[in-house]
Amino acid sequence: MGPRLAVLAWRNLWRNRRRTLLTLASIGFGLLLAVMFTALQDRNFADMIDIAARMGGGHVSLQHPEYNDTPTLTRTVQDTDALVEVSEADPYVDKAMVRIQGQAMAATAGRNLGVFFMAVDPTREDEHTFQLSKGLVEGSWIDGPDDPGLLLGRRLAELLKVELGGKVVYTLVDKQGEIVSGVGRVKGLVSTGAPSADAGIVILGLDTVREVLGYAPDEATTVALFAKDPRRVRAMRDALVAAGLPEGVAALTWDEVQPDLSAFIAMKVGGARFMELVIMILVAASIFNTLFVSVLERTREFGILLAIGYSPMQLFRLVVWESGWLGLVGVVAGGVVTAPLYFWLATHPIDVSAMTGTDEALEVAGVGMPPELRIGIFPENLALIAIFVVGATLLAGLYPAWRAGRVEPVEAINLA
Amino acid sequence: MTTSPPVLSFEGVTKVFHQGDVEVRALRGLDLVVHPGELTAIVGPSGSGKSTALHLAGALDVPTTGTVRVDGVDLATLTARERAALRRDRIGFVFQSYNLVPVMSAHENAASVLALQGVPEAEQRTRVASLLEELGIGDLADRRPDQLSGGQQQRVAIARAVAARPAVVLGDEPTANVDSATAERLLDLIRSLNERHGTTFLLSTHDERVMKRVRRVVTLVDGKVASDETVGG
Ligand SMILES: Nc1ncnc2c1ncn2[C@@H]1O[C@H](COP(=O)(O)OP(=O)(O)O)[C@@H](O)[C@H]1O
Ligand SMILES: [Mg+2]
Repeated sequence: MGPRLAVLAWRNLWRNRRRTLLTLASIGFGLLLAVMFTALQDRNFADMIDIAARMGGGHVSLQHPEYNDTPTLTRTVQDTDALVEVSEADPYVDKAMVRIQGQAMAATAGRNLGVFFMAVDPTREDEHTFQLSKGLVEGSWIDGPDDPGLLLGRRLAELLKVELGGKVVYTLVDKQGEIVSGVGRVKGLVSTGAPSADAGIVILGLDTVREVLGYAPDEATTVALFAKDPRRVRAMRDALVAAGLPEGVAALTWDEVQPDLSAFIAMKVGGARFMELVIMILVAASIFNTLFVSVLERTREFGILLAIGYSPMQLFRLVVWESGWLGLVGVVAGGVVTAPLYFWLATHPIDVSAMTGTDEALEVAGVGMPPELRIGIFPENLALIAIFVVGATLLAGLYPAWRAGRVEPVEAINLA
Repeated sequence: MTTSPPVLSFEGVTKVFHQGDVEVRALRGLDLVVHPGELTAIVGPSGSGKSTALHLAGALDVPTTGTVRVDGVDLATLTARERAALRRDRIGFVFQSYNLVPVMSAHENAASVLALQGVPEAEQRTRVASLLEELGIGDLADRRPDQLSGGQQQRVAIARAVAARPAVVLGDEPTANVDSATAERLLDLIRSLNERHGTTFLLSTHDERVMKRVRRVVTLVDGKVASDETVGG
């Protein structure tokens, strides 16, 4: 029985074992690079969205329609309890957190500084919704939404020259444009990882601030929604909007709330795509070279095949099969070398604080990133890379295959 | 006596090659008719146009002028696809050497034309097995070409060429690369295939021994038929 083209192509692949193995090595190495590079980016990206969301407004913020342009405390949403209930019923939404966020002046006996405050319900928040839940470096957390105490960023406490137990007066502008103020003792110090945030953050009890501002018991500036899948925030927002939000409530995604961060991420993702492209071109060049040389070497054989009745199209398909096998085996080989390294790195983040010279977090677009090299690839990007490699292989095989189909039988046979 | 229509005919065929500025007139008005069941040798000095004639007969190349017909069909009227199908279905080819696909076993090589034709595997297997047996290489069916001697390789090539029962088997100096004992054995096999199955052969050669074993000898000189003799065989 004469073997089919696919079988013949497979056998042809192993005629020059050394060359094929070298090519497979280069495909495998390309795949390794592409996966590692993308995994680094993806993890970075996921971490940044995550931290950004946990720093402020969640993956989607329910806000007064003008709050994002000018975040004043006069721009509020009502019936926050109802909003939480409706939102948490949405299949995309994991959790909904009510918060009041804004600017304030903080004063101590020694100093007076502009700060950013977040008023939260500490009994509902955890590290998945509010990064600083895990950021306590000294003292203790406020106990409940009506706790009059407060927490300061570690650096802010230094700037305000205040210690645990010390008094801080915070001054706000209320809904009527009146200046109002509250006072609380410092219960704890927190560190965000981002130096600028550490120097300016105050955490207060939600109900305490409502009272100071004269808000209704279920009034706030923000209901922060957390997605079950952080990469489907747009779908989540659209679903919420489609379900119908109350009058005077807008839903903004994290990248609309934080355009700087989203621009930064877009740039990084673009960089990853570019690197992938470069790697694919290198992979394709190596495949092209292998196939092209092997087609030239087999010119006479192709002449014989044409003489016995193979059509030019069949020779074309034979070489396309060869390139397909090369790509497929290359992906498998790449997977075999990539998987162990990937899983090791995914579970053993590399501490790069030695390289950055500080164990402070790296601040990126206002978000503090832990000083660790961490990886984690999005599954669809992994699939994309595999498809890319096989696609690049097939593409690289097209010209050699075309050449095989164009062999002039008489000239080829005369090459004895 | 009625003669069946020719399987192959050349009518006033010329072939001119251009090598740079030089014109090489390989065939200068070839007229030749081959009938079914014939065992014919084309002889002639090197450069007389034997290979060129066989390539034209096998639809591997086109004449400059004149007409080549296989089964009465003017090859000039066929598309590239039709020529490929004609080579597969109506023509068998045996070249001087390195005929076989290195990654296929002897059996697979011999069956490859049948496979191209889509003959069911079971039928391929029985037909090729008996053919290899007939050619005395039944026990070598699973060997790859590099595990076969030159003569054995030529037998596999002959098996491949005749397996699909083509109208004509074209052999371009099929015995030129083997020793004379092997050449004689190959010729005996060709002759017995011709006798037992009526396979039509057109072989080029400049080997005296070949001429003694065929039924008809056509001598080419300068791209034309110089003589055409029926010999005893
Ligand atoms: N592809 C070609 N290009 C140029 N000249 C060729 C080509 N093929 C054959 N020839 C020339 O045509 C003539 C006949 O060649 P060929 O048919 O191979 O003769 P033979 O097989 O009888 O030795 C020779 O002079 C040869 O050099
Ligand atoms: Mg010749």
